[in-house]
Amino acid sequence: MTIMRFNVRTWRCTVGAIVLAAAAWVSVGVFAAENPDAALIERGRYLATAGDCGACHTEPGGKPMAGGLAVATPIGSIIATNITPSKTDGIGHYSLEEFSAAVRGGIRADGQRLYPAMPYTSYAKITDVDVKALYAYFMHGVEAVDHKPAETQLPFPFNIRLSMRAWNWLFLDPRPYANDPGKSVEWNRGAYLTLGLAHCGACHTPRNILMAEQNSRLLAGADLGAWFAPNITSDDNSGVGAWSVDNLIHYMRDGHARAVGQAAGPMAEVVDHSLRHIQEADLRAIAVFLKTVPAIRDNTDIKPAFMWGAASDAFSTIRGVAVPTDRDQWSGARLYEAYCATCHQAQGQGSFDGGLPSLFHNTALGRVDTSNLVMTVLDGIHRKPDVNMPGFASELTDRQVATLGNYLMQQFGNPAGKVTVEQVKTSRAGGPSGMWMIWVAQLIMGIVLLAMIGILYVIWRRVVSSDKRAA
Amino acid sequence: MPDLVAADFVVIGSGIVGSTVARKFAQAGASVLILEAGPRVTRAEIVARFRNSPRRSDWMSPYPPAPWAPHPIYQPESNNYLVHAGPYPYEAEYIRQVGGTTWHWAAHAWRNVPNDFRIKSLYGVGVDWPFGYDDLEPYYQEAEELMGVSGAPNTGSPREKPFPMEPVAEPYAMRRIRERLVPAYEVVTNTTARNSRTYDGRPACCGNNSCQPICPIDAQYHGGLAAQAAETAGVKLVPNANVYRLDHDERGRVSAALYYDPDKVSHRVAGKVFVVAANGIESPRLLLLSASDKFPRGLANSSDMVGRNLMDHPSTSLTFDADEDLWLGRGPQSPSSIGIMRDGPFRAEHAPYRLDFTNISRVDGATNALIAQGVYGDEFARRLRYSAARELNVKNVLEVLPDPDHRITLSDQSDPMGIPKPETHYSIDDYTRKGHERSQQDFRRIAELMGGSNLRFSKEGVYANNQHICGTLSMGSDPSTSVCDQWARAHDHENLYLAGTGVLPTCGTCNSTENGLAVALRTAHHILAEHKVGRVPAPSGSG
Repeated sequence: MTIMRFNVRTWRCTVGAIVLAAAAWVSVGVFAAENPDAALIERGRYLATAGDCGACHTEPGGKPMAGGLAVATPIGSIIATNITPSKTDGIGHYSLEEFSAAVRGGIRADGQRLYPAMPYTSYAKITDVDVKALYAYFMHGVEAVDHKPAETQLPFPFNIRLSMRAWNWLFLDPRPYANDPGKSVEWNRGAYLTLGLAHCGACHTPRNILMAEQNSRLLAGADLGAWFAPNITSDDNSGVGAWSVDNLIHYMRDGHARAVGQAAGPMAEVVDHSLRHIQEADLRAIAVFLKTVPAIRDNTDIKPAFMWGAASDAFSTIRGVAVPTDRDQWSGARLYEAYCATCHQAQGQGSFDGGLPSLFHNTALGRVDTSNLVMTVLDGIHRKPDVNMPGFASELTDRQVATLGNYLMQQFGNPAGKVTVEQVKTSRAGGPSGMWMIWVAQLIMGIVLLAMIGILYVIWRRVVSSDKRAA
Repeated sequence: MPDLVAADFVVIGSGIVGSTVARKFAQAGASVLILEAGPRVTRAEIVARFRNSPRRSDWMSPYPPAPWAPHPIYQPESNNYLVHAGPYPYEAEYIRQVGGTTWHWAAHAWRNVPNDFRIKSLYGVGVDWPFGYDDLEPYYQEAEELMGVSGAPNTGSPREKPFPMEPVAEPYAMRRIRERLVPAYEVVTNTTARNSRTYDGRPACCGNNSCQPICPIDAQYHGGLAAQAAETAGVKLVPNANVYRLDHDERGRVSAALYYDPDKVSHRVAGKVFVVAANGIESPRLLLLSASDKFPRGLANSSDMVGRNLMDHPSTSLTFDADEDLWLGRGPQSPSSIGIMRDGPFRAEHAPYRLDFTNISRVDGATNALIAQGVYGDEFARRLRYSAARELNVKNVLEVLPDPDHRITLSDQSDPMGIPKPETHYSIDDYTRKGHERSQQDFRRIAELMGGSNLRFSKEGVYANNQHICGTLSMGSDPSTSVCDQWARAHDHENLYLAGTGVLPTCGTCNSTENGLAVALRTAHHILAEHKVGRVPAPSGSG
């Protein structure tokens, strides 16, 4: 289980924002641009899509990679930076080596360190060949935009980057991915994408107290703000072991695997921006690899999340009963009928073609952790080209979401999963507050300061006493 | 009695028209207040009541009237709110709650055809509008972009810009009708405010087939969304504020609106400009209720035209069984119609009409009919299946001409708040009846082309009403024969405007909402320019 809740995706944007805002100031030697061939640029474009760079660096409706997206994070609002080849406001002045150091080593052209919100610990796996392609794309395949987004301001002590040198020494494996000769080409391709460019672990691997991914719990699932990035190890019950390879491919390509689950929240964005553009062979490679990731089981998972539930309803409890005036007194069946049954049908069976998903045999209702169910009710599901489940945040009270959520879990899902009013309130606010992180960090800094004062005092006493002795 | 509040603009009525006009004012930077007689109601409450109602085909059953602001109810028995003086009962339905009557509609959002604006000049009947199709065209477009309208290109109403979206997929039954009626009839996709894709954040229609009484997912535009948009734009909306009187100053300018709250405590609201947008019955009622020494016949009524020229769209119909399974009930309730009789020289002789195919599931109606006949058991299941698969219905939507004797007056009966009820005076004239007669040959021909059997014509002399209440606040150039000018300003009061379907001088052959909204948008642009409020944006449909 994770120690802390943390929005990894937003961190990624944070770091990108910081590094590139700063990079724009730096004036190093003129980049000698040879004109790489179009195939290399296209290769870079594809890799940048697989790496989902635009998720953070492209503002909705904005110019590609020009930054400007304001992202709320537990420790403050982050504004993504311009990574177009603009020489004044982007990364146009980066050499290949500087680009590589930033992407794979977390070091900006000016020598400053990045924070691990930029998934450079994953990108470190990218091969030299692919970095070259990415560089060619960013220098020649992206339109330069001479516009500097607003600066990000993080609170103390997160504005101090020095400590990242030690962090990198502890947690950054700078070696590019090396093929495992004992495994198939497909498996190796899947491992390379999953662990590297696609940086799946950035969300799905739990982090330790220092915010580094725990390699011992690779892809075992982690909280992500108000959402939960599920376990995608090969475990049958807790992970995706019971999914077929085709299930996984459909999920990644369409955002929806029928009678299994659908992508919502941050995962829907990953599908929209990245996975649905990825070649099927690569998706298959990822799926093949995922199904071999060492199984990690949570013993409360007694069967696969998509195996729960069956068609049923409880409308006999509300027929002939007047609709209560106090909407907080509506029963789960009443709320289901008014808000959900229209699309998901009376017994949760969804539409005949699966376009409107069934609620039983649906991972959203199959886990003990109900974070994603609550967030889906509040925010809905929005995916390209035109998936639009409305969110009900503005229509339902916390009490109603809890009542409805519990009805859904009992009727269609894993009855061990519960929804509380307090939980809904927290989810509505974007997940647990990150303020504690700031306080803890400031406390640690205070303790360090006190310790230094103490040490200085001891030294001073010794100096004074040796002076006395000398006298 | 102190002024409770004051605003630049006071709008009475929060329906699709009142809310949209209020929103325009607020967007221009004015302070705007909407007074709505009825309560706030959420979509979920309406859906919950509908799903729980034993009367699924009574589209008013999910809309119980508020005791302090009743609206007409006819099932299971009449609440006698609307008093019918005859000779033909005008059984209008409407909804008094935040968002108004378009909470339940088929979302037909038609434009007139150009000749509808000039039927006096062209055919010697009715009246001409004070402006033409081209004047209204940009405002039609603006209304369509607000509501999210789609439709076919071949409906006789030219357009400068494309529809904001493609039509919803054609239901199978409508496709079969279209295919089998060619070439005798061209069946066209209706112009409707219904999403075929995500639009304005609202999802696409998924075919619940309950457009009336309620679209459960807001795929269909409605006044509740308009009211929400108005409030988002900064309009202050006061629900449960039943306006019973408008006061005026010695110059004849409207000075205040007086309303009762549900406890019948009176409140007074001052304003600079007043817009009455309380529908074709409640708006004239309010003007008549506001009679004073200076205006003994009521406000805006020196011509005695307030409440007169009441029009709607009476319908007669044919129900029959097709010779193939069609299964009405998939997709929207009202997807297709025939427009060839909407205009032509015959309008000198009889009413034009649109022929409208219902796509409402036959299950509820057929079930009730079979039970009434005492059919049960296997035969019930067999016949229900047959009717649900085969039954078709086509109706006409007949134009009614303006007639001063068709009118809304104040009744000598009072509603629970002690306010005189509205009273209707209505009949079906020869012009409309002849249109009905002409349409019978189309009914027969359509049934023949569909291999129809078991033809059941609606009862002769009985006309269903379509709740398109028009004409009672009629606009015109001549102050002696109309209530307001072409900008919907009352001839008698400098700062009183009227909005809604009541101002439409004629009703044509199309559902009235889009006409009412487009005319109101034209009014709103004029008011903003006239009163120099903020920045006046051009209608989105222009240029």
